[in-house]
Amino acid sequence: MGRETLARIALACIVIGLPLAAYGYETQLRDAHNNVIEIQASVSEQGGFSPDVVRIAVDTEITLRFSSTDVTHGIAIGPGWDINVGHVDPGKVEEITLTFDEPGTYTYYCTTFCSADHWRMRGVITVYDPENPDYVPPPYRDPVMFKLVEEGVNIDAVHTGDAMQDMELVFTREPSLENGEQLAASVTIPAEIQEQDWRRTHTPLGALHLLERANPDQSQADLIDVVLYLWTPTQSLPQAESYYNSNCTACHGQYGGGDGPISGITAENPVAFNDLGYMFQMRGDVLYAKLRRGGMGTDMPNFGTLLTPEETWLVVDYLWTLPTRSDEPSNPASIIP
Amino acid sequence: MTKIDLLTAAPWLKPILRSRLFQPVLMLATLAFFVMVILTGLFGTPAGNRNFGIVFVWIVWWALLMIIMVPFMGRIWCTMCPIPAPGEWLQRRGIVKRTSGKLSTLRWRFPKRFRNMWLQNIGFLGVAIFSAIILTHPDVTAFVLLGFILTGIVLSILYENRVFCRYVCPVGGFIGLYSMMAPLEVRVKDPSVCVTHTPKDCIIGNEQGYGCPWMLYPGGMQRNTYCGMCMECVKTCTQNNIVINVRSIGSDLTVAKERRLDEAYKAFIMLGCAILYSAVLLGPWGWMKDWASMESVANWLIYAAGFLFINLVVLPGAFALTTGLTRRLSKQTLSTRELFTHYAYVLVPLGLAAWIAFSFGFALVNGSYALVVLSDPFGFGWDLFGTRDTAWQPVGTTLIPFLQTGILTAGLLFAINTAYKIAAQYSQTHRQAFIATLPVTGFMTMVTFILLGLYLG
Repeated sequence: MGRETLARIALACIVIGLPLAAYGYETQLRDAHNNVIEIQASVSEQGGFSPDVVRIAVDTEITLRFSSTDVTHGIAIGPGWDINVGHVDPGKVEEITLTFDEPGTYTYYCTTFCSADHWRMRGVITVYDPENPDYVPPPYRDPVMFKLVEEGVNIDAVHTGDAMQDMELVFTREPSLENGEQLAASVTIPAEIQEQDWRRTHTPLGALHLLERANPDQSQADLIDVVLYLWTPTQSLPQAESYYNSNCTACHGQYGGGDGPISGITAENPVAFNDLGYMFQMRGDVLYAKLRRGGMGTDMPNFGTLLTPEETWLVVDYLWTLPTRSDEPSNPASIIP
Repeated sequence: MTKIDLLTAAPWLKPILRSRLFQPVLMLATLAFFVMVILTGLFGTPAGNRNFGIVFVWIVWWALLMIIMVPFMGRIWCTMCPIPAPGEWLQRRGIVKRTSGKLSTLRWRFPKRFRNMWLQNIGFLGVAIFSAIILTHPDVTAFVLLGFILTGIVLSILYENRVFCRYVCPVGGFIGLYSMMAPLEVRVKDPSVCVTHTPKDCIIGNEQGYGCPWMLYPGGMQRNTYCGMCMECVKTCTQNNIVINVRSIGSDLTVAKERRLDEAYKAFIMLGCAILYSAVLLGPWGWMKDWASMESVANWLIYAAGFLFINLVVLPGAFALTTGLTRRLSKQTLSTRELFTHYAYVLVPLGLAAWIAFSFGFALVNGSYALVVLSDPFGFGWDLFGTRDTAWQPVGTTLIPFLQTGILTAGLLFAINTAYKIAAQYSQTHRQAFIATLPVTGFMTMVTFILLGLYLG
């Protein structure tokens, strides 16, 4: 075989063989994993996830390979899976292999603030039953939401719960959880307030009213401390903090000051959870509902497709910790010195 | 410095260079690299730092070109460049063999008015104003390179030899200019042998090789500028008269008779681009990057207009004023335009130093991306060599400012020395040459300070 022939073979190998080899290698890699789905992430302004809908059969192992075309994104899958794929740097591929064991709809979403429209970065995984591919699982009837509807509660309004509109709430000093904890042992606390279910469906202001009636000799400032103590979870909530940091800080701020990086461009000013005046008038189930449904016309996205009801309650509980975070001075807007 | 002929000092080199396999083997190797660049550009991740095409073209290749190949070996890249290969192989109807008969082309005559560096200047500026996009978008890089290769093929069909490389290639233009600095040259041992050797195999070719594809007459070659180091003349010379010399750096700069305005402008464009690239790509001005990246067309138009204005008007204009001052102070008899052209060559060492300094700035910082894309060229998640997850690791960051300062200072000193040599060619006395050197030295010192300001912050 002459040198010219060899050179032509080499040329053919380069021009034809190299692309075929690359294609073959990639195909072989994909075949090594059954059901590999490539999902490319771009900021929402550039289209978000592509594809943004994935349809797979139940009980089928699937590998989702996430890559980013622009900035670092974070990928999680919910609700109920507690899957955090982690950061996906531009050009890097992060993959996860999983099997969905029942039909339903799940969401993959970005957990890293990546652009002004970060919260729009969502994709849907539809898990179907091959034996009944057209079956659509009924939507989840959230008892908390339905109870609010039955009660006629407008979750977009500010709530004073138990008709406490006439009650004057005055913060004369910085509330103290420590003082509240000490007083809780000595003051009379009505039985209903001690029940978590009651606290979730009533405002702290309503509880304060009941406490004032039961303890007429105590100052309101002390009783506010007691209410705050009763509403604030005593254990740390790392999972909820992680959810909050991933999903809420962009608007509401890391310490709940309503001052996140995009707070200036939302349709309405994000709520400041560290404002005791606001939080004392807010019911837990309303916060829960707002989280799951989103805020009408406020740019507050819905998280019902990302979080389970239990995870949502965790986030609600975490919100009560924000007014008294020790690493950030509380900012009760209603304090009157 | 006495020249050393490598073909004599290293006799083993000659058979290699005379082999018809020499250039095709290099070209096929770089063609493989080129095909990967195109494939990854078109089908790989759009994230530049994870794409083989972007990393290997604009970091690895560019750094090798500007830091090693051009300064030390001149146009050695042109020896192996794959871009003209398809066109040349079509012309020759073969890759390795010396085919008989004439080259297969339409034999058009390349217009005389374009037989200079102006097309290369325009081409380079055309690429330069889009550089922030080309350098960061793999697909754009792929399309630009495909455009080059297509242009090379079309020109090879229309014209004989390497018209694309000689007159059109935007890269070839500045490599040619800066190759004047290289300590390596292809020349003839004895020009009188060429004069008396009437067959002129080096021009028309013989059974051993083709006539010079770069359309040069080796016997008259005094500079590296247009010699593509293809080594055809080493093959065709029947008089054993071709030498490959190791020589003193920058010795082509003092060859007076071939200085031209198109080359002079190439020197300005390259220096201007070095300054502007340093500001846009390495500088702290985000708005400039946004404008250059075409975030809005209106701003990009302002950027492009400014870019061209600085390169074509501001820098040459300032230099023209400088050479006007030179003429006035030194009373040299040449016209300002002639002095402008002659003295522009002092910008070659300074410009090359600026490009080396610029290239060090990003190559050491971003070189580690090469390990990542070697294992995962497309960004598909491959791990061919186990280096996919190599963390980005800037190298020698504390050293870079010292390197850049040293290189720029050396470039400035060499340029001042060159300025004096050029001045001496048109001066009667040492004093006249010394005075003539002063304005140009001031200009270059100012440019050096601007560059140092950009590199050192």
